[in-house]
Amino acid sequence: MIKTHLLGERLRFAGLLAGTAMAAALAAPALAEEAPITIVINQSPWFPGFQAVVELYEETTGNAVELDVNPFAGSLEKQRTAVRTDESPFDLLIMNAGFYVEFYKGGFMQPLQEIDPAFELSEDIYDFDESVCYDATAGTVTCEGDGKLMAVPVNPNILILHYRADLYEEKGLEVPKTWDELFANAQMFNDPPKMYGISQRGHRGAFDVTYDVFPYIWSHGGGIFADQKAGDYTITINSPETLAGMETYLKLANEVGHPSTAGQTQTNVIQNMATGKAVHIQSVLAPGLFDDPNQSAVVNKVNYAATPASKDFPGATPLGHWLAGVPRNVPDDRKAAALAFLTWFQTEEAQEAYARAGSAPVSRAVLEGPMSETQEFRWMKAMADAIPTARATFLIPEASQVLAVTELRFNEAIGGQMELKDALNTAAKEIARIMADAGYDAPMLEELK
Amino acid sequence: MKSDTFWRYATLAPAVILFVLLTILPLFNLLALSFHDVEWLNREAVWEWVGGRNYAKLPEDTLFNAGILNTIIFAVLAVAFQMVLGFWLALMTTRVTRLRVFYRAVFILPILVPGIIIGAIWKLMYSYDFGVINQAVVLFGGNPVDWLGNPRLALMSVIIVDVWHWTPFCFLLMLASLESLPQDIFEAAEIDGASKGQVLRYIILPLMMPAIIVTFIFRMILAFKVFDEIYLLTGGGPGTSTEVISFTIYRRFFTEDQSGYGSAMSLATIAVIATMIILASRFATKKGPDA
Repeated sequence: MIKTHLLGERLRFAGLLAGTAMAAALAAPALAEEAPITIVINQSPWFPGFQAVVELYEETTGNAVELDVNPFAGSLEKQRTAVRTDESPFDLLIMNAGFYVEFYKGGFMQPLQEIDPAFELSEDIYDFDESVCYDATAGTVTCEGDGKLMAVPVNPNILILHYRADLYEEKGLEVPKTWDELFANAQMFNDPPKMYGISQRGHRGAFDVTYDVFPYIWSHGGGIFADQKAGDYTITINSPETLAGMETYLKLANEVGHPSTAGQTQTNVIQNMATGKAVHIQSVLAPGLFDDPNQSAVVNKVNYAATPASKDFPGATPLGHWLAGVPRNVPDDRKAAALAFLTWFQTEEAQEAYARAGSAPVSRAVLEGPMSETQEFRWMKAMADAIPTARATFLIPEASQVLAVTELRFNEAIGGQMELKDALNTAAKEIARIMADAGYDAPMLEELK
Repeated sequence: MKSDTFWRYATLAPAVILFVLLTILPLFNLLALSFHDVEWLNREAVWEWVGGRNYAKLPEDTLFNAGILNTIIFAVLAVAFQMVLGFWLALMTTRVTRLRVFYRAVFILPILVPGIIIGAIWKLMYSYDFGVINQAVVLFGGNPVDWLGNPRLALMSVIIVDVWHWTPFCFLLMLASLESLPQDIFEAAEIDGASKGQVLRYIILPLMMPAIIVTFIFRMILAFKVFDEIYLLTGGGPGTSTEVISFTIYRRFFTEDQSGYGSAMSLATIAVIATMIILASRFATKKGPDA
């Protein structure tokens, strides 16, 4: 009796052990195959989506990823410091469209196929005007010839027109395709301070107001330089076309815009839409935010479209996208681990999860796939429409110096501290000085009268 | 005797070495950097000698000029208000008999709040659309005011935040000084029939002058280094209306990665500010009790 009892107890104990072991095996996360990595990244409206994807990667693979999150300018400074030391504490740099060229040109980034010759950019992933490649011999951003794959895009970050679909429906309005149509629509709703026809970012920062005026000046045939890709650095910021673009921006700001446009940050602009104070905004996408009842008063009321055009030129949106690259100065095992993350990040599973977490994916297949037909992901169509019109903003390592000029002068013109023509002429002279100091041939146009 | 001298130098040596390592050497490094442009090629820093070009560029730099001017305006106005308010609050607190500890705690509260939180609080309060200040303005029939976006108001708005933040510092030093004044002088003045105004003018102010001067110098030094409030509230804008020199240096040195030019700007700023503080201190000392 005692023996039977003991045997039964032993069997039960053994069964319990086996069961526990099996349960533990099933419940435990996958064993890490790669070294832990650290990613330096900025705090942006799309960051929560990236964070969610990183968590999914950790759960799925067992590999550990630490995120070092900073303000926009702080992230840039940390990246510069990291690549200039003997060993970078960061294994992946999330570089912005305005500054990645200085990392390529400085020789800080490892071509990805030097880490693993089999690594490729998936066919479904956009190359964003070839910004993922660099030809070090020619010193140009290109995937042709000797251009090598340097990075993988992690966020498309382009400006998209956001509008209040419910109000449009009430008034029976069409989605604006030109700035004139946008102005007319905005005028119908403008009733400050209760409601603004449009809220635009005019704040002076590291890459704030300059980024937001690009759709206006490009869609009027203007720009800051004539054609950086072709090596033509003629300064066109004071061209009649750029002037026309800025006049359109100012017309919207002064007549149907926010009274404090010069002081509006990206956060303010998004906040104005989320609280129902703005009928239109041009912003990078934060779709998860507007449909979240805890953060938005306009749930399911916002719709999206590509940025408008002018009568003479098509619409164009600036690439403010983010690229993930591996610095040269990290140990090989961490380079391999960083590449493993980038390989996984390009999969459809990761890209879909990224979209579900509220950020825009960089995969054409996802942006144009079945998800885009649903109400929740209605923004995907606008994004897919706009990406082909997206253009690189700066292809020179001196971008941050040029930006310091344009941020100030555009902001002064918007805030009324300087006449628009004076601001553009002054900016042209200041940019010419920067370019001359850096050894470029950058002729100036005649001054605007 | 010789041994005494040796030990004097020997005991002083560690402090001198630390001072040289942490202060003098970085300054020399900054000086060397200011005559160069630094470019990064193939992961190597390439120093190019440019002579005095970086210094020559300074007078033409819009942000540098605006930064210096705004910093002086900011420091003078903010410190003046803080000194007067701090002194007045300290005077009032010494005259209070009930709840004195409570008042002290309330008055020093702002100085305990981290700068980042102060920035967030005031940015929200100044918000054009959602700020409590504009809600009050509208409640009394006014129109919303663009506190941080209007170039004419922005610097004043930032000065108000600084006054709110740093007045407690002046209050604390003044209060400590007031409470340590000898009481028999006040009793004698009372017996002689001196009025409150006369006591303030002829007794309190002269006796407190050393504390006032020290407080003034401390605050001026700190005010010239203002950064966090500007960074959080306005980013130097709109235009250049709130650009201050520490922010300009940060931009040029770090964001734009112009380490040579940033170094020249740093040294020029050190020279300007040191001169101003020395002049201000001399002026304040001359106006002191021995004047």
